[in-house]
Amino acid sequence: MITAGIDMGAKTIKVVLLEDGKKIRAKAKELGGTDTKAAGEKAFNAALFQAGLKMAEVSHITSTGAGAAGAPYARDKITEVGADAKGAVFLHPAARTVIDVGAEEGKTLRCDAHGKVIDFAVNEKCAAGAGSFMESMARALEVKLEELGPLALQSSGTIPMNAQCAVFAESEVVTLVHQKHSKMDIAKAVHDAIGDRITSMVRKVGFEPDVVLIGGVSKNPAFVETMRRNLQVDVKVLDDPEFVGALGAAIVAAENAGVK
Amino acid sequence: MKELEVFREWKKNRHEYARDWQKRTGGKVMGYFCTYVPEEILYAAGVLPVRVLGSHEPQNVTEPHIFAMFCPFCRDCLAQGLKGRYKYLDGLMIAQSCLHIRQAYTSWVKHVPVPFSYYLCMPHKVQSKRAYPFLRGELEAFKKAVEKWTGKEISDKALTDAIAVYNENRRLMRELYDLRKAPEPPISGEEAMEITMAQQMTDKKEHNEALRKLLAALPKRKRDRPAGTRLMIIGSEDDDLDFLHMVESLNKEQYPATFVIDEHCTGSRYFWNDVPEDTDKLMAIARRYIERPPCPTKDWEERRRIPHMLKLAKDFGVQGAIVMQQKFCDPHELDTVAIRKELEKKGIKTLFLEFDVTVPIGQFRIRVEAFLETIKQDDLF
Amino acid sequence: MADKKGKYPTEPLKCWDKAKKIREDYYRNYAAAHDKGGLRWAGGAWTFDAIPAGLGDDVYPITSEPYGASCAYDKKFSLRCLEATEKAGYARDLCAYMRNYWGSILLNEFAFGGPFPKPDFLWQDHICCSHAKWYQVVSELEHGIPHYSIDVAVGPESEINPNKIDYIVGQMHDGIEFLEKTTGRKYQDNLLIKAVKNTCRATSTWAKVCELNKTVPAPLDEKSMYSLYVLGTIQKSSQAVADFYEELLKEVQDRVARGIAATPNERCRVMSDTQPPWGFLSVFRYLEKFGTVSIGSLYTFGLIGAWEVAPDGQWVHRKTPMETGVSINDRDKALRVLTEWELHKPEWQHFYSPHLKSEMMIRIAKQWKLDGVMLHYNRGCEGLSLGIAENRLALLKAGFPVMVFEGNMGDEREFDMTRTMSRIDSFMETLGMKKEFD
Repeated sequence: MITAGIDMGAKTIKVVLLEDGKKIRAKAKELGGTDTKAAGEKAFNAALFQAGLKMAEVSHITSTGAGAAGAPYARDKITEVGADAKGAVFLHPAARTVIDVGAEEGKTLRCDAHGKVIDFAVNEKCAAGAGSFMESMARALEVKLEELGPLALQSSGTIPMNAQCAVFAESEVVTLVHQKHSKMDIAKAVHDAIGDRITSMVRKVGFEPDVVLIGGVSKNPAFVETMRRNLQVDVKVLDDPEFVGALGAAIVAAENAGVK
Repeated sequence: MKELEVFREWKKNRHEYARDWQKRTGGKVMGYFCTYVPEEILYAAGVLPVRVLGSHEPQNVTEPHIFAMFCPFCRDCLAQGLKGRYKYLDGLMIAQSCLHIRQAYTSWVKHVPVPFSYYLCMPHKVQSKRAYPFLRGELEAFKKAVEKWTGKEISDKALTDAIAVYNENRRLMRELYDLRKAPEPPISGEEAMEITMAQQMTDKKEHNEALRKLLAALPKRKRDRPAGTRLMIIGSEDDDLDFLHMVESLNKEQYPATFVIDEHCTGSRYFWNDVPEDTDKLMAIARRYIERPPCPTKDWEERRRIPHMLKLAKDFGVQGAIVMQQKFCDPHELDTVAIRKELEKKGIKTLFLEFDVTVPIGQFRIRVEAFLETIKQDDLF
Repeated sequence: MADKKGKYPTEPLKCWDKAKKIREDYYRNYAAAHDKGGLRWAGGAWTFDAIPAGLGDDVYPITSEPYGASCAYDKKFSLRCLEATEKAGYARDLCAYMRNYWGSILLNEFAFGGPFPKPDFLWQDHICCSHAKWYQVVSELEHGIPHYSIDVAVGPESEINPNKIDYIVGQMHDGIEFLEKTTGRKYQDNLLIKAVKNTCRATSTWAKVCELNKTVPAPLDEKSMYSLYVLGTIQKSSQAVADFYEELLKEVQDRVARGIAATPNERCRVMSDTQPPWGFLSVFRYLEKFGTVSIGSLYTFGLIGAWEVAPDGQWVHRKTPMETGVSINDRDKALRVLTEWELHKPEWQHFYSPHLKSEMMIRIAKQWKLDGVMLHYNRGCEGLSLGIAENRLALLKAGFPVMVFEGNMGDEREFDMTRTMSRIDSFMETLGMKKEFD
């Protein structure tokens, strides 16, 4: 039986096709743009094409993500927090803490062995954004986004930067640039600041091994390093971390369709 | 100047100082959060009171305990406790003033064990005659608790001696501040803040000795830059030395400026008035704390902070005031509009800046320079 | 008459319109106070309103927080008030009620129509940093109004002693002198005594009403309770409010006897905490889709309610002086009884330690049979959000699932409805509740 999960994320739409709740048949993604429904349909078709399947062969579709209500084709929804837990435990059965740092929002959750959520927290007002903040910092330092992490890893310095308010932090970076600090050191300071904000949130809910990092920002090696240092545990990064939500939705679709 | 160095060292090495004091004297160290704590009673019991201040480092440990909408200072203070920097404390206490800092105390005593802790109900209505017997009663209870903790009685003589040491400390500080009235003050605002910070963390006898040495040496001292524009700090709790340093080291031809006086809780409010003469020592202490320059939480129904501030501004020849607003500090936000209005009426320009644990020093420099320019322009006409 | 669309029968409250009328009359009387030579005054919801009652039967109050909440209901008006206050130089993180109230004065627009009626005097209590200073600014905005505030921050109920009571009673005596001097009226002790008894009766009866929500299904839901508890915040010392609460109690007892529920498909019980986001009470209706009811909160129960712990450990209404045989014969006794009564207020305890509040919250969670807790991290009120993070930790430790949502009771710009709904969805998921009811 084929089920599908569609994650209508803030920036990108992700689709995962799952066979018998066990085997991943396809993963596709599209930029959401202004017509997210059309983008969702496009991502769906791309996934079907990848798996060599037709729409009629998909038994149950569940949506998730910020725009879940507007997802095409979906029969029901599951929250992002729920989806993250299911997807993470599928990919890494020992996962008990999942930290999801995306473009606009960061969240953390604790779950049990079945991917059932025990407690969770989402970025509060005073620590808005992680992914998009990284982007604006990369611009301020005139480097490409993917270069920001490796740049930070080259530094061993510590410049204190306001860890709570993204707006304050941005003006601090401007000051640091004018003070002629090296780009590496500033990049590291940016990661330390974001790391502190996310760590604060994680501490609120508490964490238990294995701690797993997902979402777009988890592809940044300096951020992963910062989290390992802050939490003093080995933080696992999953392959294709952006698809965990859609995968979780596909698993829930399978559960709802009676698989397992 | 070596007579100033000692204060800087004390402030920098506050924890080593306290641990060393414990070893030297065998006495107990009490950490405290608010300057309404009646230190004289502790000192009379042979206890060293040390104020808990933050370290201005970003941290990620207080989020589970204090909601982020509360001031950065209270979170910074709690972080010090959670990070184990004050392990040596024998006691921890707070005198009731603002809400935010209370959380540093209540979370600390729950999650970081301290042998002795105390919450003193310092009254808020200091403008009521009823506050006197009330506070005296609370001090009586506090004194008993301290006696139980230390295991020995606090005699009237001990109180008298402690009061004398503290009053001497206040007198010496006022003498020091008087020197800043001069056209060319011999110390900078940054140096004065280091002295007041050290004052809150050391044995007053030792601080007195260092002050005497400093006062003897200061008349010969000449700073290497002109005083320039005479500034005043108005604030909440504030210990932002980096900011003061920045303002006082701007280009000395273009923007010379010196902080000549302050009205904030880590500065003059701490030591401005003495314990008066009274055979009833506890009542004397109560009177001192009731009648001191008020924290905004206790400045109602009348505004008494403002006339006090205006007098300071006049006596010290202040040209501009920088309101150093601790982010989210409600009591000060409630006062700021009225304060700025009254200062501007008296021809004193004001600059409002919001402070967090770390600050955008570059942005602040631009604003301060512009501020100093507008004051200079006014002077030309 | 009962509607049976779901598991349980439901019915609207019969006394609903009466509650509305009391509130409307209250604001109208305040505005029209001078018309027949009466007086009007302003103070906080926790002020000792029983005391100015001694000035006569034609003395009408307005209490600040409920008025601020009334402004917040009307989002357009509220925004104008908030912006006026910001334009005047006041910070955005100050108490949201206060900013709405000041804005109303600055705009000279009363939320209930007409210009803002200036009070003759200000009579306030002070326990949260903003209280007395709120009115310090009000006096400045209105070019000077006689102002008297009473400091009640003397410590938790377990530490009450004669010294603390004397401090407050002393201020009250001084306050009566202030009232006489300011109004030129002679104070009438018999009116004070009546008002003190009304206060005890009203607040004790409100607690009795809240106790009834221990029943499954709950006869009342928190959203409805907001429209009822508010009467205690506007004038707990009045006969009208004390009588109304007794009428309400009878009606709710009847509902319990007949098994009438607030939420027809109740299967999950939660409580909230701190003031709700007043402009977004639909959040409570949203819970019904999951078969979830909020049975109240320490806020709804204890902001004005008078409680005590019974010998069997149950949290119950506090017995009034009349019920315990305490006689009130003179002014001083009336003031002492009033002081001691109010010092036991549940919502005054956390000002000294959040752990005291945690104890109360855990007791409610157990005795009202809760499945979870929803905490409003309210940026608009530092007083009631004080220590809330520690309350969360304590509730989790005691085994109750807790959800947190950030918002602002009186500043709609700081409340994200979509995000909050999504949090509720996630939380309901963790409790195993599906969204399946209309």
